[in-house]
Amino acid sequence: MNRTLKDYEIVVGRDAVSQLQQVSRDLAGARVVHVNSTRVGGGVAEILSWLIPLMNELGLDTSWEVVTGTPEYYNTTKTFHNGLQGNEVILPQYMLDIYEKTVTENAEKLRATLEEADFVFIHDPQPAALLDLCPNRKGKWIWRCHIDASHPNRKVWNYLRSKVAGYDASIFSMPQFAQRMDHPQFIIAPSIDPLSEKNREMSPDEIATVLEQLGISGEMPIITQVSRFDRFKDPIGVIKAFNLLNSHIDARLILAGGGATDDPEGAAVLEEVKEAAFNNDRIHILMLPSDAHLTINAIQRASTIIMQKSLQEGFGLTVTEAMWKGKPVIGGNVGGIKLQVHNHHTGYLVDTPEGSALRIRELLRRPEKIKAMGMIARKFVTENFLLNRHLREYLTLMLGLRRGLSNHLIAN
Amino acid sequence: MKIVTEKKNMPFNIKDCTLITRMAGIDTAMNLRELRERLKICPIESLFHHFCETVIRPTFDDPEFRNDFAIWAAHNLRDRILAERLGILNPYALDNFEELRLQVLDIIDERLSQLVYFPWSPRGEEFQFMQAVTVVFETGIQLKNPEDLIRKLPQMSLSSIYYHFVEARRRTPHKTDDFTTWLMDYGNGVEPLLKSLRGIDFYFLTLPELKQKLINAVQLVNPVKIS
Repeated sequence: MNRTLKDYEIVVGRDAVSQLQQVSRDLAGARVVHVNSTRVGGGVAEILSWLIPLMNELGLDTSWEVVTGTPEYYNTTKTFHNGLQGNEVILPQYMLDIYEKTVTENAEKLRATLEEADFVFIHDPQPAALLDLCPNRKGKWIWRCHIDASHPNRKVWNYLRSKVAGYDASIFSMPQFAQRMDHPQFIIAPSIDPLSEKNREMSPDEIATVLEQLGISGEMPIITQVSRFDRFKDPIGVIKAFNLLNSHIDARLILAGGGATDDPEGAAVLEEVKEAAFNNDRIHILMLPSDAHLTINAIQRASTIIMQKSLQEGFGLTVTEAMWKGKPVIGGNVGGIKLQVHNHHTGYLVDTPEGSALRIRELLRRPEKIKAMGMIARKFVTENFLLNRHLREYLTLMLGLRRGLSNHLIAN
Repeated sequence: MKIVTEKKNMPFNIKDCTLITRMAGIDTAMNLRELRERLKICPIESLFHHFCETVIRPTFDDPEFRNDFAIWAAHNLRDRILAERLGILNPYALDNFEELRLQVLDIIDERLSQLVYFPWSPRGEEFQFMQAVTVVFETGIQLKNPEDLIRKLPQMSLSSIYYHFVEARRRTPHKTDDFTTWLMDYGNGVEPLLKSLRGIDFYFLTLPELKQKLINAVQLVNPVKIS
């Protein structure tokens, strides 16, 4: 069910909604198309799920297109993803051929829509090559990179740069992720939808019912990491940290992951995680369907501590979700997690399983800190990482691009 | 409270603004020498952003210093002496931002001459030169007379306060805030109000603190009555 701006007033305030309406006046009727590679699973799909209807409500004519391909195509784009995050990868010519062939096929279907649009937002590398395949485009094209590309594999980046250099602008989540390019590069942090199934308030009964369905007892503190089964999320490191604590604490560990249709490595990593957790009945590994938003919400709310021990992270919306629910987060000292987890205030930044174990133990022994950190965390998300700020920055960017990006623009 | 003024019917349209930050197109600085080289050529808009727009940017806590160069010197270069020297600079007390640039360069040159080794930032914590695009828009709220300022200040958004009270100093002829520019045309009747506004040292205030100071200042005014 689509929520309206009116629904959000209760969370973000009337002024914030009114500001969106005022900023968007100049953009009324603009045709906007967002393109990514999956409708379900992962942070980008979640963002687009609220962004599209709200842009439409603000008077923009906004649509969402998805590029599709074979497993070989997704293997290639996963290689791009890993390479952008700095991994050593092999990128043979045949993979590039598959990528270009798939995007060309998608361009045949999308060309008319994209060329007519006033603004086209291309999310991540999967559809990036569409620009060159739409030569009669009339609008502004923006490449939105959600990935931590601060130290990319040079071969992958050199190839992708040839596909994105022609865009009118690009967007990164943090200044550290931006790469040297001739077009303007903007910085927009992601955000969460506070009223979505994944983030809405839940009653204790609702939460208990979900835990019961999952067969998880709530009598011990729960430590949770919610994320795709991906090596960059370091689920094995979380299990190592938990195992270091086994003799000191009574707690359960939940590793809950959903699948994204554009992530072919998930199944292999899941097997590695199951092997690492073998024979420990306090570790619960949950492979959830990509639409299990309410289940994730309940697990996060039932948890005492949330982990996000990533080794590389674009932003980490699961961190934002946890903080919104008033939970302290023990997070990897990387990427966008550093924007959200402020050491000793909203949680702890850690570099090792040992560091994670230390902080879990500290928090469980000092429950007053859990409460205090959770309150600060929720306030911090309310002020900085909810959808109204995110949407406002997109609108400002579009106005800026339309007017020529001077430093001071007067809207009509 | 009634403020009696010499002139009437000079409405003030309340505007609001929204910012988006972008890379300034200057390479990052990894050490103090690189910072100096980049500062010398960075756009004025970038200097403005790092000195003046810090107040409107989301921050986790009340920062120790108000400009990004001082913050970087303290936290990333671990040079507190430099941080304090940069931190005291008040961009609004100078004629223009080129003058500010010269002062910053002078402070860094002096520091470089004192150091045997120039300090480096850890990897990943380089100084990123940014600037912002500001879009200004009408709110539809109008102040019809000085009393309206007192009544309607509490309704103004923080970004609107920033635009009219802080950012205004960059674009108004007398380098003052928009309210003062507007009120000056009302004659002696508003002098206490003007004095009250002038008394606010906003540079070290967060926007919520500034808004509260403004509200307190205008509500305390005892206007001079002109017959």
